[in-house]
Amino acid sequence: MASPRTVLESRRVSRRHFLGAAAGGAAGLGGILAAGRAPAVAQTRELTFLTVASFVPETDKELKRQFEEWGARNKVKVRLDIIAHLQLVTKKAAEVQARSGHDLTALGPGLGDADLYFDYLADLNDVAGDVAPKNGGWLNPNDYLIRGKWKLLPWWMPPFPMAVRTDLLEEIGEKNPDTWEDWLRVGKKGKAIGHPFGTALGHSADANVTLLSILWSYGGSYVAKDGRTITINSKETRQAMEFVKRLYTEAMDPEVLAWDDASNNRCLNAGKCIAIHNPISAYESAKKDKVIAPGTQREIADVIDHVNTPRGPVDRKATTGFWCVGIWNFSKNQDLAKDFLRYHFQPDNLSRWVDAGHGFNMPFLTNLTKHPVYKSDKQYRYIPEVAKVSVPPSWPGPTTAASQQVWDLYIIPDMFAQHATGKMTADQAIAWAEKEMQEIYAGRKRRP
Amino acid sequence: MSSPARWPRRIRPLFTLYLPVTPFVFFALFPLYFMFVTSLKKNAELYDVNAAPFVIRHGVTFGHYELLSKDTLFWSWFVNSLLVSVAATVISVVLGILAAYSLARLRFLGANSFGVAIFITYLVPPSLLFLPLSTVVNRLGLSDSLWALVVTYPTFLVPFCTWLLMGYFRTVPKEIEECAMLDGCNRFQTLVRILLPVAVPGVICAALFAFTLSWNEFLYSLVFVSPAELKTMTVGVFSELIRGDIYYWGELMAGACLGSLPIVIAYVFFLDYYVSGLTAGAVK
Repeated sequence: MASPRTVLESRRVSRRHFLGAAAGGAAGLGGILAAGRAPAVAQTRELTFLTVASFVPETDKELKRQFEEWGARNKVKVRLDIIAHLQLVTKKAAEVQARSGHDLTALGPGLGDADLYFDYLADLNDVAGDVAPKNGGWLNPNDYLIRGKWKLLPWWMPPFPMAVRTDLLEEIGEKNPDTWEDWLRVGKKGKAIGHPFGTALGHSADANVTLLSILWSYGGSYVAKDGRTITINSKETRQAMEFVKRLYTEAMDPEVLAWDDASNNRCLNAGKCIAIHNPISAYESAKKDKVIAPGTQREIADVIDHVNTPRGPVDRKATTGFWCVGIWNFSKNQDLAKDFLRYHFQPDNLSRWVDAGHGFNMPFLTNLTKHPVYKSDKQYRYIPEVAKVSVPPSWPGPTTAASQQVWDLYIIPDMFAQHATGKMTADQAIAWAEKEMQEIYAGRKRRP
Repeated sequence: MSSPARWPRRIRPLFTLYLPVTPFVFFALFPLYFMFVTSLKKNAELYDVNAAPFVIRHGVTFGHYELLSKDTLFWSWFVNSLLVSVAATVISVVLGILAAYSLARLRFLGANSFGVAIFITYLVPPSLLFLPLSTVVNRLGLSDSLWALVVTYPTFLVPFCTWLLMGYFRTVPKEIEECAMLDGCNRFQTLVRILLPVAVPGVICAALFAFTLSWNEFLYSLVFVSPAELKTMTVGVFSELIRGDIYYWGELMAGACLGSLPIVIAYVFFLDYYVSGLTAGAVK
């Protein structure tokens, strides 16, 4: 047993030791306070991910499961925050302003965020390169490069087939409509029996999608491949506008001018519209809610079919919301975030995620367009076909902040609507749109 | 049996009061009624374009309330809204009382300018302020916590409360405070013991408005708080029940109905205070 004296002596601290320890402690505490974070050994690593509420809720559950699984394997605390897609613009702006927020973030709709937030997004060249070979390659990789770099990974798109009421089609004696002219004819006959065609002509993403699809199908476009020359003033645009005017006056109700993204779903599921140009969300909700077709005992979901996006005189083209994922370069966990992206984009995980979404969320990867889910229900059979002809909204021009602004300000829907409603002649509406686009592109021109 | 001569006197309020008020009551209550009716309709009826929108024809369902309670964090959002609104209201009213008293009663250089400055601050819209405030919240380390809202809501509530109370305090005669001071009260005692009891309707009015503004606030809550369990009701309902082009109308309306209750209750309880003129009795 040690003597009391020995114990006391062992506890005695010399002045030199005390000063040294005190100085070290103060320096350490000062460092922690200055850095505003705990030392590495004491930190719990946390990865945060901001995304938008998926149109099919099971998708979010599967993403959360994968995120938590990855977190458990890597001993990283994870947090998935889900907001409505309409809220994303505000949230992104605030996070960039504060240079703080989530590590991973959903971007979109559209690839324009990558140009708009180019200086705040981490380069993902390495992740894009790792992910592609395992999934059969990106569908159209050149479309996704912003200023020659992978600033985001294109994540998923909801392709836009044509959703149609088969019972009504039979009633009006139509079979296999395929071109926009076919759909005009179907719409006219449908409207005559109280079931008009439905596509938004107001300020909504659906209006942008459908009217751009028509513009391209008639051979028009609004910006050239150089990303500078505005090409909206063309005879092809005039033809497309004349077609939309006929579609509006002969086959649709005026209410389409006030439609939001939910309106066409409601029109189809209410049993009113004969057809709408829309992703499969209307069908999915009709199936879930077991909505009955008015005047019948049949469920609406049983009499809906989805066929290819229409062809025009020149081409069959469509677009959609390009939802992407990126990593803020002010994130302190960029390596972890990249690691999770590699994990999520593994073929098995992506496959499970597509399955959970019933095929609604199609990745931009070749192998995933052949996913078994698209054969699991005949309603999904055309989705891969539509995906193949889906291009970014700025096509054939590159995606830029200016093209995103053209989308966000609904220049295309306004141009079509002003002519369709007779407020402007085709020339006046085109001249208006051309001026707006030129100003947007001039204002967004990058200074060297 | 009352004589026919008395009828005009009895009928008069019908024409001078009830009938003129009816359109306003209808206008004010219609949104609540529509919310309530929609929240009880089955989805099939909600989709039916031929259904009468103002009545329930195909049976009542409580399924929307059930989904809201079971499948979302609605009640957590409700509690969050309540905590934040109460805390922000208390802080703002206390600060507003102190600021309003100073500006209404004390004579110091620039008092009027301060009053105008506060009014102008109140006019700056939150949609401009949220970007710089997000930097402030981040620097304070309050992101993704309810404290972010407790701290930022007073930025628009304090100017409002101050401005409202300043006007109210000026209607209270100075003489009653001067009497108290002659009897030995200091400034603070005068404020607490004399002015505030007299100004209860004004304070309640400020508190009610502050609570309502906090309860309905959307933008700051969206920007400063991300975790699902910390969202306030306004943001939570929007985030969870609008999924792209699918709107869960029944659940949205159920959320709106339940969300209206605290405001309705608060106004029902305090309406008398709110409208009564206690100042008249105070100066007797």
